[in-house]
Amino acid sequence: MLFSRVRGLPVLTPGAADRIGVVRALTVDAAAGRVTHVRIGRGRLRGQAVVAWEALGAVGTDMLVVRSADGPAGAPQHRDLLGARVLTECGEERGTVLDAAFDPVTARVETVLTTFGEVPPGLLLGLGDHALVIRTGHHR
Amino acid sequence: MNGLTAVRSLATLPVVTLGGDAVAHVKDTVFDPSGERIARFTLTGRSLLSGPLPRDLPWPAVHCLGRHAVMVRDEGALFDLPLSVARREAVRGRLLGSQVVTEDGRTVGTVLDVLVEGGTSGRLVAFRLAAQRELVHGSRHRRHRVYVPRGEALSVTGRTLVIPAHATAYVTDDLPGFVARVGAGHDRGGGGVR
Repeated sequence: MLFSRVRGLPVLTPGAADRIGVVRALTVDAAAGRVTHVRIGRGRLRGQAVVAWEALGAVGTDMLVVRSADGPAGAPQHRDLLGARVLTECGEERGTVLDAAFDPVTARVETVLTTFGEVPPGLLLGLGDHALVIRTGHHR
Repeated sequence: MNGLTAVRSLATLPVVTLGGDAVAHVKDTVFDPSGERIARFTLTGRSLLSGPLPRDLPWPAVHCLGRHAVMVRDEGALFDLPLSVARREAVRGRLLGSQVVTEDGRTVGTVLDVLVEGGTSGRLVAFRLAAQRELVHGSRHRRHRVYVPRGEALSVTGRTLVIPAHATAYVTDDLPGFVARVGAGHDRGGGGVR
């Protein structure tokens, strides 16, 4: 499933089938290569909610079902993967992130699509406020 | 992956952790007393108006020097340093503006820029000079685009660099040729200059 396809999907709670908002972004732990949290936009006045991936009941192509929209206490700082600058561990720029594919069941990132081509998740080192850092494979 | 990088282009380069966070920007590149390799970087804050940081980045803490960033493992690579000390060391270890003379006392020119090997090396490879008219003929523009290799026998005396007399035989304004020759000389297979 592509990150770009998830963005904008409605998020529902199972019991009342209430729509609590739409997916704004996915938070990624780049070093672990997996999606950790979903950021849900709840409208202009109600702000955003952050839900741990484990709190999702189901992830479909048309909607996400969440057990509870109460955010976890220690949600990590969000860095947007889409549009992030890509930098190798040797300080060379390698374009920007166009999209990423992940497995909706395991939340594992399967590949990151950049303007320079695909990057496998095993090469991801970290995603910060400046760039997504990737391994080059031939460093000391 | 050790392309040559001009030291002037390192100023304002971000210092980025492997986690992807920019923690500072490079202000000055400081060389070791023998002018052999980079010793440390002094730093500024990340925003345009932030001044010098009371921290510096010693070369051993650098993970890799690239064309677009100085990579460090994490923010712990930066060491606290009083601003006055950082300023003094930056002046002492800055080669830009130094006079270059040969062993036999001929003035060659002044250093406009320094070429260093990137990656994990940080080795000083060559100088870009504002050459004397006696050394290179032609316009001032042309004389400001000549390169002289560091050589193995460089000695640094205050703000003066003394190079072997025969080093002036390698003065050239042909940068690609110079890079190829330096690359061949050090058996590193070339590399680009930023």
